[in-house]
Amino acid sequence: MAGDKGRVMVDGLTKTFGSVRAVDGLSFAVEPGSITGFLGPNGAGKTTTLRMLLGLVTPDAGSATISGRPYAALTAPSDEVGAALEATGFHPARSGRAHLSVYCRINGYSRRRADEVLEAVGLTEAARRPVGGYSLGMRQRLALAAALLGDPPVLVLDEPANGLDPEGIAWLRGLLRDLAARGCTVLVSSHVLSEVQQLVDRVVIVNNGRLVRQGSLAELSAEHATVLVRTPQVGQFRAALEQAGARTVSAGRDGVRVLGMDATEVGDRAFAAGVRLHALVSQASDLERVFLALTSDDPAPAAAEKGVA
Amino acid sequence: MARLIAGEFEKLLSTRLWLWLLLGSAGLTALYASLTIVNADNPDTWVYPLSTGAGQRTLFSVGQGAGSLVAVLGAIGLTSEFRHRTATATFLATPRRSRVVAAKLVTFPLLGAAYGLVCVVVTIAIALPWLSTKNIDVSLVAHGIPGTLAGVIAGATLFGLVGVGIGALLRDQVGAVVVLLVYLFVAEPILTRVEAFNAWTPYLPGPAASALTQVSLTNQDFLAPWQGGLVLAGYGLALALAGARLTIRRDVM
Repeated sequence: MAGDKGRVMVDGLTKTFGSVRAVDGLSFAVEPGSITGFLGPNGAGKTTTLRMLLGLVTPDAGSATISGRPYAALTAPSDEVGAALEATGFHPARSGRAHLSVYCRINGYSRRRADEVLEAVGLTEAARRPVGGYSLGMRQRLALAAALLGDPPVLVLDEPANGLDPEGIAWLRGLLRDLAARGCTVLVSSHVLSEVQQLVDRVVIVNNGRLVRQGSLAELSAEHATVLVRTPQVGQFRAALEQAGARTVSAGRDGVRVLGMDATEVGDRAFAAGVRLHALVSQASDLERVFLALTSDDPAPAAAEKGVA
Repeated sequence: MARLIAGEFEKLLSTRLWLWLLLGSAGLTALYASLTIVNADNPDTWVYPLSTGAGQRTLFSVGQGAGSLVAVLGAIGLTSEFRHRTATATFLATPRRSRVVAAKLVTFPLLGAAYGLVCVVVTIAIALPWLSTKNIDVSLVAHGIPGTLAGVIAGATLFGLVGVGIGALLRDQVGAVVVLLVYLFVAEPILTRVEAFNAWTPYLPGPAASALTQVSLTNQDFLAPWQGGLVLAGYGLALALAGARLTIRRDVM
């Protein structure tokens, strides 16, 4: 299983709570050494998926492995996977350092390691204060510190940016970039694409417990690029393009927006159909809007076109 | 496993609960010891005269009250993982959850033994000087007193198992503590006073613990000390096993 080192595989995961199917046949893979954004609106099943991946929740069907093995079968899980989950608890009367110290003891790490990770997340000054007095941002940092304790090759972070101020988010980006540069596999969930857009190489997008898309940001962006055309023969142009398999949407009096075809082909098709073009502009996609379209329960095109003049 | 147990001790000692409950146990023991000595002067009392072996055994058994607080500590120690949601971190570090329960089944009885020892010391520190002012000569190695003192320590130890067991089965902190206290201080005293139940009340946890010291304030039959110990340990282990099988493996959200 050496080839699976650091790879996260989710295969057909399914979980139902009462009458709610939280996760529905979800499959995706996270490649070693990459930062992957695990995206979806609140309630999409992200946390449940991560908890199943980490052996905290038993799936109804499917499996999840890290480095080729289920979490519970890892010999020294804290050495192999660091996890910071949403709503991870801390005993309010215990200091941040005491919390980490317990897990140093359990995992056989030296106590110095607790101080090192506290420094890495900027909590040295608050280390000896009870966690009960920590802000949400400080708790997030402490959860991250706990994930880093074993210096693991795989990190699973659930909404780590929640509760961080913009400065904290910038700091988090820097930290995760450093880790990825050292070959760490990072899976980071978020309900806001823009929060992780500058950080992730790949995205796994889920909605209603199902996979909506996975791929690199560049692919996603290219796929949702549009071509804006101005033509006096709108009807003829749209008919020709629709016939060729593109999707067209009206954009103003003499404008048409073309989805799913690149500018070169749009121009060629128009020429072949004898349609005069007054403008032909390739437009990069706004990823946030793509994300919203993909995860909205309305049909995608309508949502994607809102706000286009 | 040794690291897990060390981790459990560190969790326990990093908050103050153990200290408050230890002070409570020592305080209760001091109170019971004093009441026993004062009452023994009263001719109508339930206490045997302190010049007799039976009276001295009663006096030196007062530390067995610590058992219920040890059980509370064990129940809180397990359920606080769920109440404060540290179960997530705990089970991430130790995905085989039964090992976590096992570590607590070692930790809390050891702590209980320490509680029992402190209560024994408190009892002796109050009894010896006080009785000598009454010109009652007490030898700690006569009249079966070593057995009584050992019974106090054994009871506190085994109640640690019971506390962890009930916590593992119920997972809910308030529920576990309430069930424990209502059972020990309401249900059991009633049950042991119903004559029709006399044949099986010795097998209840409280009377089983009393069997360890062979002293109780109610007139009832005891098992032999070793039988009482086995019964009490059996309750703790059965509850913990049921908890590990039924509730501890449930989803942690």
